[in-house]
Amino acid sequence: MVAEKVEKEAAGQLLDAMYLDLFHLIEEHTQCKVNLERANASGAILLARTRFQAGGSNSVSKAQIPTENSAEFNALCRVIKAKDENEINIERHAVDRANGYVEPLHWFSVLPPMSLRHAVTKFRDCIELVAESTNLQRQLTDVLCWISKLRQSVLQQ
Amino acid sequence: MLKSTIVDTRVRLVPSKTLLEFLDSQKEHFKKVPENVAKLMKNEGYILPLSTQIVKEQELNIKRPNIDRALLRRLTADVSEEPEPAPAKPIGKKNKKAAKDKKATEEVMEDEEHPTEYNNVLYLTDMHWLNDTLIQLRKDGISNIFLYELIESSDLLLPENEMKPRNPDLEARCERLRAEQHNREYHKMTKNVDAGLKHYPEDTIAYQIKSLNKQIIAVVQFVFSVAAGFTFGFFGVNLMVGPLPFGFRILLGVIVALIIALAEMYFLAKKLHEYDEVLDAPKRMQQTAPKARGERVPPAATSGVQALKPHAD
Repeated sequence: MVAEKVEKEAAGQLLDAMYLDLFHLIEEHTQCKVNLERANASGAILLARTRFQAGGSNSVSKAQIPTENSAEFNALCRVIKAKDENEINIERHAVDRANGYVEPLHWFSVLPPMSLRHAVTKFRDCIELVAESTNLQRQLTDVLCWISKLRQSVLQQ
Repeated sequence: MLKSTIVDTRVRLVPSKTLLEFLDSQKEHFKKVPENVAKLMKNEGYILPLSTQIVKEQELNIKRPNIDRALLRRLTADVSEEPEPAPAKPIGKKNKKAAKDKKATEEVMEDEEHPTEYNNVLYLTDMHWLNDTLIQLRKDGISNIFLYELIESSDLLLPENEMKPRNPDLEARCERLRAEQHNREYHKMTKNVDAGLKHYPEDTIAYQIKSLNKQIIAVVQFVFSVAAGFTFGFFGVNLMVGPLPFGFRILLGVIVALIIALAEMYFLAKKLHEYDEVLDAPKRMQQTAPKARGERVPPAATSGVQALKPHAD
């Protein structure tokens, strides 16, 4: 009888903690998305500025991006699994022309303008934020799953 | 309608009747109450005892709770892998929460109109306080209620994007610019059909040279004044002071030219900065009003350019 009570108390406290954790995760996730939106917007504005400064819409355009028929190259940035099974990380490779790691910025010009460089850093931040957001989302799903399980077990008692 | 940035990222909880009644019934046992809870209770018509201390939210600790994974696994070991609310889970947190809350909420919310604007809400700090208080109360044996029992009848408000209508000024300007663009394209297309349009002003060399003129003048000015400075150093000083060695004359000319080049450079940089200012106008606007960014920038960008352009020229 006493053991059962202790068990119930522990389960209740755990459930409370999980709910609080859930709220924390929701807030963090939202904040992350807001940051993502902000970084993406400023990146887009910088890109627009580059095109405006360079004049004309043909200066930094889609046509300069390699197509299927271009030479092969390796990705500089990869999504990999983190140590924790459930999480992902972003892996970045240094530019190394000999091994096929090309700098994408050089597709557009040999001497890219400052605003384009800034835009690149912004979009890089975006990728990090996307990874962070994914991790948070996974944690959130996890917590929701645990909550539903725990609720069942609490209700059974 | 456009979605604007989420301003308030906090999770809000609309307290249910049960929660409010619980707060009311246990109010003698609260030593400290967060500001927001105190306000909420006042608004709902409950009176806190005078001895209760009202604390600011910063004083409360809000850390993410540590979850005992081992205990969690042990407790849920006997639960089947496929829990019955599972289908609601992948749809989204809100739906699940809503589904779970529905049965409880319906009883509470049925008699009152669903308000769109909630004034009395609990934030995360308040929930932390509530949890700590409940733990204390359970320890003292005063009540045997858990946080999840209290909040499951309450409504959870997730942070949402505010919907804002598109600025009519912006819409009008976009419309005008689009029309201009189309007009230009049309002229380009038809100019070799109609002889009268052949000499469209923007196509003549004179027009292009005119638009380049300002920059050319600035550069020529620069070159001319540097050359004049050098000439003065090279010939002028020699004429004034008397015969000087050739090397010294060159040195003098270079020094004078350098001084003038520096001064000219300053004015050139100022001019260029003015041009840059035109480009920077939207950015500055963004810093002063970060909240309404998504909406205000486009009109500011175009109007800034328009307002500053003659000045820059």
